[in-house]
Amino acid sequence: MTLSMSTILRRSLIHRRARSLSALVALTVSAGVATALLTLYADLDAKLHHEFRSFGANIVITAPASSALPQDALAKVRQVAGSDALVAPFAYAIATTDRGTPVVVAGTDFAAVKKLDASWAIENGAWPDPSDTQAALIGQRAANFIADEHAVKLTFAGKPLTLHGTGRIKTGGDEDSRIYIPLPAFTAWTGTTTSVIEVQISGNAQKIDAAITGLKSALPGMQVQPVRQLVEGESRIVDRTHTLMYAAVLLIALTVGVSVLATLSASVLERRRDFALMKALGGSQSQLISLFLLEAALLAFAGVIAGYIIGSALAWAISETNFGTASLPRIEVLPLVLLLNMAIAVMAALFPARVLRGLQPAALLKGE
Amino acid sequence: MRVLEETLSTPGTESVISLNAVTREYASHGNVVRALDSATFAINSGEWVAITGPSGSGKSTLVNMLGCLDRPTSGTLKIDGTDVASMSATELDRFRADKIGFIFQQFHLIPYLSAIENVMLAQYFHSMTDESEARVALEKVGLGARISHLPSELSGGEQQRVCIARALINNPPILLADEPTGNLDAANQKIVANLLGELHRYGHTIVMVTHDPEMAALAQRKIALSHGKVFCHPTSSSRMIRLQR
Repeated sequence: MTLSMSTILRRSLIHRRARSLSALVALTVSAGVATALLTLYADLDAKLHHEFRSFGANIVITAPASSALPQDALAKVRQVAGSDALVAPFAYAIATTDRGTPVVVAGTDFAAVKKLDASWAIENGAWPDPSDTQAALIGQRAANFIADEHAVKLTFAGKPLTLHGTGRIKTGGDEDSRIYIPLPAFTAWTGTTTSVIEVQISGNAQKIDAAITGLKSALPGMQVQPVRQLVEGESRIVDRTHTLMYAAVLLIALTVGVSVLATLSASVLERRRDFALMKALGGSQSQLISLFLLEAALLAFAGVIAGYIIGSALAWAISETNFGTASLPRIEVLPLVLLLNMAIAVMAALFPARVLRGLQPAALLKGE
Repeated sequence: MRVLEETLSTPGTESVISLNAVTREYASHGNVVRALDSATFAINSGEWVAITGPSGSGKSTLVNMLGCLDRPTSGTLKIDGTDVASMSATELDRFRADKIGFIFQQFHLIPYLSAIENVMLAQYFHSMTDESEARVALEKVGLGARISHLPSELSGGEQQRVCIARALINNPPILLADEPTGNLDAANQKIVANLLGELHRYGHTIVMVTHDPEMAALAQRKIALSHGKVFCHPTSSSRMIRLQR
């Protein structure tokens, strides 16, 4: 049997289990919250971008008035925007319904729109099958202008077209007043080609700006515009969420710091006779302070282990509840959490360690 | 047992402690309090000296000096030939671990360490731990069967004997006992007194602070303190011999 610093530490922590537990709980809370927030923070951009994707395009490309987009515009956009971008072409014309009401008809690629505008609600039916060349999606309000949704009869410049509706679109926007049909059928019917391309870039405002620059360069003369509200809104929300998370981590760190400081201060005062004895037995100032700081560091380390597990589970639950997808534990947050907890523990231990410096063994051991 | 049987030095004229005009002053509420006033005396190697005096006489201050827990404001204090007044705090820590074995009135055992670990604690801060040596030290003070017990599982007398084993484990030339029997009943007081007597016979230098005239009478010499001033008296060792028998 030997008596080592680890034996002294272990026995001391077990002997004062209530105090040790109190400090451990505080440090576990700090590590847990930091782990949860940092895990969510790491996933935040991806999650928020995913959420924002459902709001549709963040870039709109149009031809200037009285001109059309080049034939190869769609291919160029797909090339510049990258494989993870969502791109949908649109062509517009005003046709007349069988009730004689003018209505905006849009030709598009349903498969692309379904991904781009995932928030569109389809009622009384479903998205058209991409292979169905005669399908139509009828806007909620546009449905009032047609006699039969199963046989949608439209006329453009005297040319009739009959399609079958597969469902109603409900977005709360302009889309509710339109009738969407497949782009090939639209082009064959109206002779009009793509006039608008909507693009959704996955990424932050900087990435969107870079894509706009690239698109402008690839399509000279065309109007490439960001959907300002969406881009800025996303950027603002991401920034605010980041700030909120930083503030929360800081607040928790401060609260836990105060709690650990109180616990460690009480611990030193409680054991000042033990430390005085160690000093009388020849323990140097640095040995005693090391012993005390190591104790705090050990608690911080144990807190990190427990906190990392709890925090990862918490992040998983929060992510699952709010974003519908789980945030998996991220090992890369562990060093940051460890650093934070060690900093809290050591900072909180520094003040009580000053008590050790001023220790008067003679007076304390005399019981004064 | 090495720590008990090894003769440290022959009692004689060699001074293991010597004070020359040692003064210790403290600042208190803007005033200077002289707790020890020009103390001059020497303690020879192997001597058993009792320090007596009423409360506030400067006993604790003197013990702090002799135990290297404090330094004089002025004067020369030599322990085992070394002037401790000029030592740094770190040097003093090391010196204290080498030269002084403490026996406290309130035992001061670490509550979460067993008897043997409490003895080994002194080894830990001195050099390195040696369980067999600590075990022998406890056997010699009659606690061979209680080495794994925590202080809370030991009687006051047993705790004091652990304290004595701890004080001896590093074989220091000086044992500094501050009211060693102050917290003990008559039976345990006798056991501890005999133990100190035995240590003295084996050549240990013992400096003992006590209020108890019976304990003081066991020492070879009394150093009486009053208002920070020192008065030295020789004393008979006959009572000590009687107690040991």
